[in-house]
Amino acid sequence: MQRIKTILKVILFVLVGGLLHYVLPQHDIVRVTSTEIIRMDFTSFNRLFYAQADSGNAENTTRDMRLINTERKKTFLLGFIPRDATGVMVYRNEDTGWIWPPYFKFDSSNLQAEAAALISNTADEKWAVITHYGWRNKFLSVYPNAVGIREVSGPDVRIIPWFNIFFFIFLIIAYFFIRAMWRQFRERSVDPLLEDAGEVWDKVDDHADAAKAQARGFIGRIKAWLETWRSKK
Amino acid sequence: MGLIRLVIFGFLFLTAIYFMISIFSRSVRREKLEDRWDEKHPGGDDMAARDAYIKEGMVEYESGLRKKLIWLVFIIPPIIVLVILYLTSFYEG
Repeated sequence: MQRIKTILKVILFVLVGGLLHYVLPQHDIVRVTSTEIIRMDFTSFNRLFYAQADSGNAENTTRDMRLINTERKKTFLLGFIPRDATGVMVYRNEDTGWIWPPYFKFDSSNLQAEAAALISNTADEKWAVITHYGWRNKFLSVYPNAVGIREVSGPDVRIIPWFNIFFFIFLIIAYFFIRAMWRQFRERSVDPLLEDAGEVWDKVDDHADAAKAQARGFIGRIKAWLETWRSKK
Repeated sequence: MGLIRLVIFGFLFLTAIYFMISIFSRSVRREKLEDRWDEKHPGGDDMAARDAYIKEGMVEYESGLRKKLIWLVFIIPPIIVLVILYLTSFYEG
C-alpha cells in the first residue's frame, strides 16, 4: 500500500512538473538567423502542442505558421547554469489568444517583425532574449512558442525569471491556504458529524452488550432468541 | 468567441472560489469568537449568553471590512489578465 502511494505521488509529481515546465515562461539567449513561414498539416499526435489559428481568423485543419530560426546559447539545469556551447533552436510564433495557455498573445505578426529586425550574421552579432513556453520535439515536429523578444547587449546577460519566482511563491501560498481551508472544513463540519455517528454507534454497542448479558446460560440464550422475534418497542 | 468562453468559465470558477473563501472566513471567525468566549468564561456553561455573544460577533462580521475584501477575488484576476495581455501583446522591449 505504502509503495503504491509512493508510486502515485511520483507520477503526480512528474505530471505536474511536466505541465509547469511546458507552460511556464523560459528565457533563451539567442541570435536570430532567419524567420520563415511553413504550412502545417497537424496530426492527432501533435495537434495538442499547437495553439489555434490567429485570434481573428477561422480554424482550419491546415494553416501557415511563422517560425523563428535561431542560434541559441546552451544551458544546464533549466537555464540556471550558462554554457559556452551554442546550438540551434527553432521557435514557432502563434497567437495563444484568450485560451490556454494564458499568455493572451495576439501580436504574433508584430513579434515576427521584431525578430526579423534582429536578424544578424556572425560578422555583426546581435543577441536577444526570447521568452517562450513549450517543447521542441523532433519526432512529433513540435516547437516552443515564442512569446516575446528583446535585444540585449551580449550573450552573457544575467536573466532573473521574475514571473516564475512570483508564480511559485503564489503556488506555495495557495497550497497552504487550501490546506488551511480543508482542515477548517474537517474540524468544523466533518468531525462533528463523525462524532454524532460515533455516539449512535456506541448506543448500538450498548444494546448489543445488554443482549449479550441476557443471553447467559441455555435458558437465557433461548429467551434471547425468542426476544429477537418480538416486535421492537 | 474565446473571450466569451473565458469570461463565462472564469466567472463560474471565481464564483466557486468566492463562496469557498466566504464559508472558510465565516467559519474561522465563528471559531475565534467561541475561543474568545471560552477564554473569558472558563467553566461557564451559560449557553444562551454564549450564543448571543457569538451571534453578535457574526452580525458585526457580516458588515465588516474583512467580508468585503473577499470581493477582491473577482477584481484581482481580471487585472492580472489585463496586465499579462498588455505585457505580451502591446509592450515592446
